Amino acid sequence: MTTTAPDLRTGTTGTTRRVRGPKDRARDRGAVSPADWRRPGVRLGLGGSHLALLALLVVAGLGPMLMLARFAVTPTSDILMTPMAVFPNGVAWDNLDQAWNRVHIDRYFANTVLLACGSWLVQVVVATTGGYVLSVLRPAYGRALQWLVLATMFVPSVVLLVPLYLVILHPPLLGQSLLNSFWAVWLPSGASAFNVLLVTRFFDSLPREVFEAARVDGAGNVQLFTRVVLPMSRPIIGVVSVFAIIASWKDFLWPLLVLRRPEIQPLSVRLPAIAGTTDLGVLMAALAIATLIPVALFLVFQNMFLNGAGLSGAVKG
Amino acid sequence: MTTTIAPDVAPASQAEPVTASRSRSLTRWVRGGGISTLVFALPMLVIFGVFSWLPILNSVVMSFQKTNLVAAPKWVGWANFAYVLNDPLLPTAIANTLWFAVLALVIGYPLPLVVAVLMSEARRFRGLYSALAYLPVVVPPVVSVLLWKFFYDAGPTGVFNTILGWVGLGPFPWIQDADWAMPSLVLAATWAGAGGTIIIYLAALTSVPAELYEAAEIDGAGLWHKIWHVTLPQLRGVLFITLILQVIATAQVFLEPYLFTNGGPADATLTILLLIYNYAFANSLGGNYGAATALSLMLAIVLAILSIVYFRLTRSWSDS
Amino acid sequence: MNPYKRGLALGIAAAIGAISFSACAGTPTPAATTAATSAGPVKISVVSLLPGSEQAAIDAFNAQVKEFEAANPGITIEPQEYEWKATTFAAQLAGGTLPDVFEIPFTDAKTLIQNQQIANLDAQFKTLPYADKFNENILNAGKGEDGQVYAIPAKNVYGVGLHYNRTLFAKAGLDPNTAPRTWDEIRADAKKIADAVPGVAGYMQMTQNATGGWQLVANTYAHGGRVQTANADGTFTSTLNNDGTKAALQMLKDMRWTDNSMGSNFMFDWSSINQAFAAGKVAMYTSGSDVYTSLVQTNGVKADMYGLGAMPQTDSPDAGVLTGGTMAAMMADATDAQKDAAIKWIDFFYLRKLVDPERATADAKTLSANKQPVGTPVLPMFNRAQWEQNQTWIKDYINVPLDHMTGYTDTMFDLKLVGEPSRGTQEIYKLLDTVTQTVLTKKDADIDALLTKANTQAQALLDQG
Repeated sequence: MTTTAPDLRTGTTGTTRRVRGPKDRARDRGAVSPADWRRPGVRLGLGGSHLALLALLVVAGLGPMLMLARFAVTPTSDILMTPMAVFPNGVAWDNLDQAWNRVHIDRYFANTVLLACGSWLVQVVVATTGGYVLSVLRPAYGRALQWLVLATMFVPSVVLLVPLYLVILHPPLLGQSLLNSFWAVWLPSGASAFNVLLVTRFFDSLPREVFEAARVDGAGNVQLFTRVVLPMSRPIIGVVSVFAIIASWKDFLWPLLVLRRPEIQPLSVRLPAIAGTTDLGVLMAALAIATLIPVALFLVFQNMFLNGAGLSGAVKG
Repeated sequence: MTTTIAPDVAPASQAEPVTASRSRSLTRWVRGGGISTLVFALPMLVIFGVFSWLPILNSVVMSFQKTNLVAAPKWVGWANFAYVLNDPLLPTAIANTLWFAVLALVIGYPLPLVVAVLMSEARRFRGLYSALAYLPVVVPPVVSVLLWKFFYDAGPTGVFNTILGWVGLGPFPWIQDADWAMPSLVLAATWAGAGGTIIIYLAALTSVPAELYEAAEIDGAGLWHKIWHVTLPQLRGVLFITLILQVIATAQVFLEPYLFTNGGPADATLTILLLIYNYAFANSLGGNYGAATALSLMLAIVLAILSIVYFRLTRSWSDS
Repeated sequence: MNPYKRGLALGIAAAIGAISFSACAGTPTPAATTAATSAGPVKISVVSLLPGSEQAAIDAFNAQVKEFEAANPGITIEPQEYEWKATTFAAQLAGGTLPDVFEIPFTDAKTLIQNQQIANLDAQFKTLPYADKFNENILNAGKGEDGQVYAIPAKNVYGVGLHYNRTLFAKAGLDPNTAPRTWDEIRADAKKIADAVPGVAGYMQMTQNATGGWQLVANTYAHGGRVQTANADGTFTSTLNNDGTKAALQMLKDMRWTDNSMGSNFMFDWSSINQAFAAGKVAMYTSGSDVYTSLVQTNGVKADMYGLGAMPQTDSPDAGVLTGGTMAAMMADATDAQKDAAIKWIDFFYLRKLVDPERATADAKTLSANKQPVGTPVLPMFNRAQWEQNQTWIKDYINVPLDHMTGYTDTMFDLKLVGEPSRGTQEIYKLLDTVTQTVLTKKDADIDALLTKANTQAQALLDQG
């Protein structure tokens, strides 16, 4: 693998903007050189392809979302009879109201948010403490621990499905089943070797002198963690958080299995369950509401998402 | 993405451990902060232990047992494996999963590459391209499946059929026909997933050092030559990794077959993971957990062998 | 503080954290409700309505709950949304997420009793004043080998009927007041509708989640076939490749591929075909005669468009109407206090209105005040005389369009009633799902081959016991 661990201390916050100089322009090119661009054949061909690509991306990327937004406020009969017509019989704002109040999307929305928050917290705690131990504290058993954690990355998640379900039904030490409680989703989400790997490598790239200096000042393990390591980990916690929240919002099979009471189900489980019995316009409104937050988060934190997604490719290599 | 290596960080494996080694006495260990280290390791140990290592071990054990949740489990030797191997639905599930994987590879592997290469050459609107490409990835899969299910309505008034009707292409059966169902699923899955792959490729593409291109140009290389001899070899690592990861992911596809067609029509979209789910959770006579774990293990072993063979084969090619 | 002491403090803090975590982890499952001593207050959860039901239906149900709680001060009722599905019931049972008093179809009771998964309600059942008046066949479905009652017949004893959209009939030039009476008429009418109203399925049948097999078997019975026979020695023989099923599938094949009168969408289960019918996308389909209630409560159907006819019978002497119904049961670990409370609820909500004039009128009044359907045709749980008497009690409140349902109600007592197959019912239905889907989505499906293959698998299931 040629890509090396990028400098996350500045690369992912996406807020700094340097002045672009000639060196940037030179580095900022791909296979096509500025000389190539001047050739009319390349200009037309490549330029044309870009235009076509942009059109394709708008239609494919944005199109379905715009249609969803439109369907969300279209009366059901119009959706069924003339789906491509634009509001032939007026707008049905009522769909949104019904989705929120009658189908109680607000409740499932709240569940989704709660699940995301809890999963986020568990994942951040496990990843940061785990990475701290593996990278900074380096106990003698650290090597073995790291191998055990990494090994789980090679086990396909399908293997875990049934036994994990049984662990939830009969957790060790606790007398009681965790089924139908948010813990059944929160806790297993922390077992992400990918997160631990990300954080460990990040901590590895932190300069050791800072730690040594803190030690010299008398910091114990706890103080080192809270006063030195954590403040420096903001970028990587950001990346882990983004992954955690998106993964939680998208999670389907696991919540389907362990959250069986309708009142605690998140949107991803509840929406398909009521699709068969809910009015189509109202269902569309519900789908639109469910998409709102992830898309909004994405638009606001775009850079963090995109850098993190690219980073995941580097890490896997 | 800037890539710098802090020059004074010692290579990871050689950094000095900051605590004393445990081979010395217990008090030395505790004094040296051994307990706090253990406490810090505790979240990872507990979470991985209970929710990862334990279930993995359990799955091997359970595949040799007959478990119903009321009585104690019984050892049944290879019976679960025999049951799975004799299930008439198994060959169907395997064939369908392979078909999905092949289709996904054909549609979903080169397309993101082409798009990423084009995007990396764009001089303006780079951010817009990325945002548009990644947008479908952040949409919750459940939303996209339910939306596409509606788009896929096979009547002449279905959304896709209407749009295709504008250019004179007849109404298609989409998920209502056994032959069309799987490609329809792959299309929807590709729409939802391609963005992530595009971004990964894009990141790798933009990290190709410009000097390599400049050197090639000095040697008189044309555009295609540069792409073939500079861009692609630099991407080799990422391409190899993405390929095997995609195969592993598509081998475990569940959401699309479950939500779109629940394995239908006529088991045309029954995948291995859906079969496992049906064994364990959809059997109205009670879950056959032994068969489910047996099949998951068999799948995991096949994927492991595939990965090992793959890495052996590609090790000689990608020496970068 | 030196590192040693700090580490110790941290360790203690972590231990305290772990203990308090385990103490508050996990919320109690709903089935483990507070069961007090028999004299104290009891809370039980019961089935309310299908998920996504209309607000008016929910209000009507809550009104009934209030009535019950007022009359039984020691009992609190917790309504729980519920849809019985063959593919999810077992997981719900294993996961303990069913309401305390849950509903099951007639056919499931015996298996659950055998697996010791439902509670013995015999003592509580005998406290009902009308316990000995039940139709024996119906009551038997809920009895164990020991002759004791485990599941109590609760509601919706149905015969499968033909539901049709009167508006679409009129649009196609057919008489909306006359339901087709033979299968040939169904075929002809479906073609007329499909031609007159593009995009609409003239006739459609369920195909998914075991409901496909259920309706195929209903269709089989109507053609005089049977899918299972019980042998004298206690074993069962599967007969899926009988002439009735073959005829039923052949008709579907003809309507789909020759007439093209079944529309373009073929994946339907019980709730999605109701939805399609309500949306005007399906003109005719077969389902239980009691479906009108949920069409109104969940899909917002209006009385004008709805018509109900009898399941057309062929000339075969064995032709009959598939019948089934819903029973109420409780999990095996229900306490006596819960059982006592449950029987009172079962009596109040499900059964008393069938035998007691005051209860019948009160119930009908509440429902009709909330614009809920009263009078949907169901078959008698006790006997015909009782049923007819019941109809006179609620006569003033009946608000379902009975005059649109005469095709069914005129003959509902005359036709032969045939129960669902009793062994491996849901699994066999699932096998037939695949057969039906294949016939509808593969042009050259070989019906004989499909049925023979399904039959071999069904026999293997039956032999497993």
